[in-house]
Amino acid sequence: MPRLSIHFSRAWICWAALGCTVVLSGVSASEPVPCDQAAVYREAWIKVFERSCLTCHRRGGDAEESGFCLADVSHLPAASREAALGANAELIRTLANNDSSDSRPLFLAKATGGDNHGGGAILAPDSAAYRVLESLVGMLRTPSGNSLHTTALANGLREDLDDAFLQGVVMISDQGLLRRATLSLAGRLPTEHERTRVEAKGLEGVREVLDGVMQEDAFYARLREAFNDIFLTLGIDGNADATVLSYEHFEKTRLWYQQHDLSQIEDEKERQQAGYKLANDYRAALLDEPMRLIEHIVREDRPFSEILTADYIMVSPYTARGYGVFDELKDQFASVDDPFAYVPVKLKALVGRNRLEDQDSATGFYPHAGLLSTFQYLSRYPTTETNRNRLRARMYYQHFLGVDVLEMADRVSDAAAVTAAYEIPTMQAAECVVCHRTLDPVAGLFQEYWRFDANFAIYGKRKEGWFLDMFPAGFEGEALPDSERWRALQWLGEQTVHDPRFAVAMTEHAYAMLTGRRPLLPPGDIDDPLYAARYRAFRFQRAEMEAIAARFAANGFHFKALLTDLVASELYRADALSPAPLPPERLAELDDLGVVRLLSPEQLERKITAIFGKSWGKLSEQTAILYGGIDSKEVTERASDPSGAMGSLQRSMANDVACRNVALDFSRPPSQRRLFPTIEPDVLPGASSEADEQVRAAIVFLHQQLLGRDDAIHSEEVDRTFRLFASIVEAAHEQGQIDPRETWACRQGLEREVDDPHYTVRGWRGVVTYLLRRQEFLYE
Amino acid sequence: MSSVPAMRRNFLKRCAAAGLGLSAPIGLRPWATSAAADTEDLPGYDGPYYVVLNASGGWDTTALMDPKGIGGINRLYEQGDICTHGNHTFAPTAKHMTAGLSNEDFFHEFGNELLVFNGLDYSVNNHAPCSRYMATGKLDSLAYPTFAALVAACKAPTCPLAFLTFGNYSATGNLVAMSRVPYLPSLKRVANADAIDGNDAAPYHDPFALRAIEETLAEHQRFQAAQPLLPRRARAESMLYAAQVNSKALARITPHIPKDSPKQRLAQQAEIALASFKAGVCVSANLSIGQFDSHANNDADQMKLIPEFLEGIATLLHRAEELQIREKLVVIAQSEMGRTPDYNSGNGKDHWSIGSIMFLGPGITGNRVIGKTDERQFAKPFDPQTLSTTETEGIRVRPEHVHDALRRLAGIANHPHSETFALGIPPAEQLLGLWG
Repeated sequence: MPRLSIHFSRAWICWAALGCTVVLSGVSASEPVPCDQAAVYREAWIKVFERSCLTCHRRGGDAEESGFCLADVSHLPAASREAALGANAELIRTLANNDSSDSRPLFLAKATGGDNHGGGAILAPDSAAYRVLESLVGMLRTPSGNSLHTTALANGLREDLDDAFLQGVVMISDQGLLRRATLSLAGRLPTEHERTRVEAKGLEGVREVLDGVMQEDAFYARLREAFNDIFLTLGIDGNADATVLSYEHFEKTRLWYQQHDLSQIEDEKERQQAGYKLANDYRAALLDEPMRLIEHIVREDRPFSEILTADYIMVSPYTARGYGVFDELKDQFASVDDPFAYVPVKLKALVGRNRLEDQDSATGFYPHAGLLSTFQYLSRYPTTETNRNRLRARMYYQHFLGVDVLEMADRVSDAAAVTAAYEIPTMQAAECVVCHRTLDPVAGLFQEYWRFDANFAIYGKRKEGWFLDMFPAGFEGEALPDSERWRALQWLGEQTVHDPRFAVAMTEHAYAMLTGRRPLLPPGDIDDPLYAARYRAFRFQRAEMEAIAARFAANGFHFKALLTDLVASELYRADALSPAPLPPERLAELDDLGVVRLLSPEQLERKITAIFGKSWGKLSEQTAILYGGIDSKEVTERASDPSGAMGSLQRSMANDVACRNVALDFSRPPSQRRLFPTIEPDVLPGASSEADEQVRAAIVFLHQQLLGRDDAIHSEEVDRTFRLFASIVEAAHEQGQIDPRETWACRQGLEREVDDPHYTVRGWRGVVTYLLRRQEFLYE
Repeated sequence: MSSVPAMRRNFLKRCAAAGLGLSAPIGLRPWATSAAADTEDLPGYDGPYYVVLNASGGWDTTALMDPKGIGGINRLYEQGDICTHGNHTFAPTAKHMTAGLSNEDFFHEFGNELLVFNGLDYSVNNHAPCSRYMATGKLDSLAYPTFAALVAACKAPTCPLAFLTFGNYSATGNLVAMSRVPYLPSLKRVANADAIDGNDAAPYHDPFALRAIEETLAEHQRFQAAQPLLPRRARAESMLYAAQVNSKALARITPHIPKDSPKQRLAQQAEIALASFKAGVCVSANLSIGQFDSHANNDADQMKLIPEFLEGIATLLHRAEELQIREKLVVIAQSEMGRTPDYNSGNGKDHWSIGSIMFLGPGITGNRVIGKTDERQFAKPFDPQTLSTTETEGIRVRPEHVHDALRRLAGIANHPHSETFALGIPPAEQLLGLWG
């Protein structure tokens, strides 16, 4: 293979010149591709064909029948991609040699709106993208370009992303990973036993520990919270007993709590309070049902595809009453008084007050389709008469296939004129069709849910039948069979889980759960000097994500295994850089790498609880919003960077948590302390070398507990904290008279009195305050 | 250990080196030298202040600043009912509304200061891309910052609430942190973090201890800046440190927080923004009210919401007057789309990609209407040199043209951040005379 290795080197040099790299692996030794030609093809694919052409020129796209139909590789299973890449390259090479009716290269004419291009002008003649396309056409029209083997050309899209991309990136230690993952997934620190296990078995040990962590209730609380960040079903407007359960179909049962017998409570005020609590718990339980479905699927190790295919919903004793199914289920509940203990149930088909509002069903049951058919999802994303279920279709694409349909929309030269020029713009105007051909068929699958006031009804068909001025119901070019109409959402769910994008989208959700952010999108600005670096970063992450998604699908959509796979991945373990000055291109490549997530208000409270044994308790409601939290309604995106207001809350938290816990910790027997098990307040810095070593050992322990750092006792980090402690104690003594007791507010609730004649308790409080304000504590 | 001014200088240097743009803001005073004096002497930003008001959902411009009395475009009035004030023409709403501020009163009071642009082309007509486009001036990128975020990042990124937002599209381009302050009382909660229950007489730490903590954090920050950190980590370290250090200036807000919180949606947001401006801790605010998406019963909805929106603008300006910062307030009132020139079967109006925008504030000559729509509510071609419309040839004025002009108004067109997020308007298309 000597010739092949020479070829690798050439390719590397060539791509490096362009700010990217490629390895033409798999290229036959008899089919060398000049690196500049591969580079031109690759650049054109990335900057023109993938970005612009593929929107319409693909199966199911508006230009499917144009004779230029590319394969969207992202839709294909890995096994089919090789052939698809080759087919795309062959098609592009062939058409690059064709001319338009006015004797211009066909590609260039079409791209600029000539030769009756159905999509109009896509590229401006003076744009960078046009120049890229022009280069490709020029290259493919030369004898050497035209004779290129298409497989070899397609191989130009390969990239050497595995080894080189992570060069110089340092992964977190196994113990660090263990702490990061247990805090993230279960809001607690690792146990000694778990640490020992990881010490012995390394990364495999982390995997084993996580199996146990993902059995804990705290993990399921985090799971629900993370998926609500995505689906936002807790953000339903109004009282859930009215907006989730409609008057039309649950008239007699949805307000059961108003008749519930509380006569055993004699005191009228208490009875009234109990009534309020009953209603509030019922409403909260209703809102929580979709997330409980996700919990059930994961807890029971069911395929995560059930998020779309489960033929049941989860109900609690309270919500079962609302649906009118309590009597048939009551024996399944461990306690009929627990509003939040859920069991699965398959509802019967809906029966309206009016026979016309009865639900069609071939089986007599409600056609459950996982989350998609829940009243909560349908009412969180309602429709209107003119929206025609398009919001629901858009959210479906975003939630379950990771596609932002609106991003398909490009600038229109005159959108108002287009709207006015066509009788049905969404079916006739290319600018509109590009989205609506994808969106409207899925909107049509929601057609049985055609009511606009959730309080009155969610289910209900349109009297006149579904709209004829929309693309008919279906999915990605597949029409909904008439026989499946009554269970259209189930049909959609079944189609979706076989689409490779589903596994990727779920992997992206898991990634968001672990990192707090969405995966990278392809960079937008092809004129950006760092475009190549940014694209490479995107491709690296995308390739990792797709590989993990493929294992997830092959593994029967086992969500816990997916999380473990992500935790073990380099995406999650990347932690630092080895010391070396890096050029801007390399920094741009690494820009998104590493977890580095500002903890949400909920996560921060859990971390405080894990370390100190009790929460701070102030990051709730309005303060949670102030600290970057969400309300699932108006505020739906968590803050990723701290504002000044958040910085103020961090200072407040650090001051207050240190105040509540330092003297308290010293008031406990050493064996029960969380912060200072090895030192007493009478150990003074500078008193002796032994005392200093004791102080340093205490600091090492605090760094481990609060920051997850494993610092050496004479490290620079420990030196700095030591100096802080010593300087506070020293400065206190320089004041002359000092109060021999801690501040009043900080010595409340102690288990025994703790004096502070040397100011060391307050000195340690200063140290804890300092550590609580550090990035390692406030970020994940 | 370093002195506080030295900490500050070094920090700013590191921010600049990290490309965070946390460079010394314009017009800031030097830092205090003692922890006790910190809250009094932390730097303050003293204007201009920028407020972007969003009528979220898509307003009906024919019910406001671009009236159409023909062709059944608006059923509330006839051509002869259209009102004028100075150079402004507007729809009559006093008879159709039940609360808020009528167009008549609004234009009467503010018309002489008001610049209206009609015939703005949003290019698409979906909420999400339109909101993004109107907020950033860039349709095809998710990376661009909103104008409010950009101007905050350019002028005073170290202000603790440099960019306030109450909704709508609020991307920051990673240039500055976004602040959400949901209610007025929230401001009180963050005003004095170093004292127990915010009580100055009961500090958590003695001054010497607090100073030692702050200095150690600064030393740690310097140490970290010299480490080979992943870019995300380096950015997080810098932004966190900036957030905590600069948050001390929030103490200055306390005297400006009104005792009672107003009931109106925009007025609540305006009070928070104005108190923050007055305290010198905020550069820009993104105010928003929703429900303008009147696909059903357009007239009833718009006649409820437009007067509410205008009342909000008026309250903002009146309160700014009381706080003596009115002359420093730049106001931009916009929506992400317009509404169709005809009614649908539910008496609603759907999305329309042509609309209007209004401006008011220092540097903006009022009593002017620029741009036009025709009798069917299509944008007329526009000559950017003469600022007049033509019958056949001209450009379509889009959000990037407006943002380009806004950047020049704010004096940030050549700031490195603006260059990073370039709008690429050819010189011949720049609206150089827009502000008068």
